[in-house]
Amino acid sequence: MLEELNCETVFTIPVFGGIGISESTVVTWIIMAALVLLAIIFVRNLKVENPGKVQLLLESGIGWAEDFFRDVLGEKGKVYIPYLITVLIYLAVSNLIGILGFKPPTKDINVTAGLAIMSMVLIEFAGYRAKGVKGKLKSFAEPVAVVLPINLLEIVIRPVSLCMRLFGNILGSFVVMELIKAIVPVLIPIPFSFYFDIFDGLIQAYVFVFLTALFIGETTE
Amino acid sequence: MSTLIAIGAGIAVLTGIGAGIGIGIATSKAVDAIARQPEAEGKIRTTLILGCALAEATAIYGFVIALLCIFFLK
Repeated sequence: MLEELNCETVFTIPVFGGIGISESTVVTWIIMAALVLLAIIFVRNLKVENPGKVQLLLESGIGWAEDFFRDVLGEKGKVYIPYLITVLIYLAVSNLIGILGFKPPTKDINVTAGLAIMSMVLIEFAGYRAKGVKGKLKSFAEPVAVVLPINLLEIVIRPVSLCMRLFGNILGSFVVMELIKAIVPVLIPIPFSFYFDIFDGLIQAYVFVFLTALFIGETTE
Repeated sequence: MSTLIAIGAGIAVLTGIGAGIGIGIATSKAVDAIARQPEAEGKIRTTLILGCALAEATAIYGFVIALLCIFFLK
């Protein structure tokens, strides 16, 4: 079981002394390919008049997501919505892909760390873009100058906690599921799988994106 | 040595107590609030999920520390 926890290197690209490609990267490529393919298939026959059932479903889904993020981000943050929806879809698929027998890429701490760093860059960039360099620097000393070190620490703490939350949850549910499967392999894991694999994965994808949106809304305010 | 590591990991996981109590209180208050104002259910749910995620983070930190104890203290 311990081997299951590590992410192994699948193959090595023979440039610059060998770049190791780990399993999570390969699964991510598969997810990317599938999502891009689905996106192309679904948007191929869009019509303004008499939209089909699939188009209506897509439109209501995207409309729901946009409304949700607009509530959190405010009017100023509207440009960040496509990125957030992309991350939401990617995280939802990668948390659920354990059902299909792949290893979820979010079980690798490097993947969640990368996503969290991207969120951090986006949050800070959004702050500078909305307030200008001077205004953003000034906002570190608000509401009083004493909180300056805390505000500076927050830049680092936010991505660390985003990264650890996602990684810990997915790894934790994976470990619990493996333990249950090791004790009783038939029938009993099914209800647990609904909670740990499906519900928890979706909630964590939602929480990650929601928190990123919340932080962006906070800095652009 | 391995016994001590196991005990340490067990102690680290005790952080789950705090998260459990916190999420329990938050959920009971949310149920109260929904019972009082059923029309505000959507807003209450978003806030509840956010609060639960933040409270749960402490338990997750404990869990990660426990895993690090087991893997890196051999």
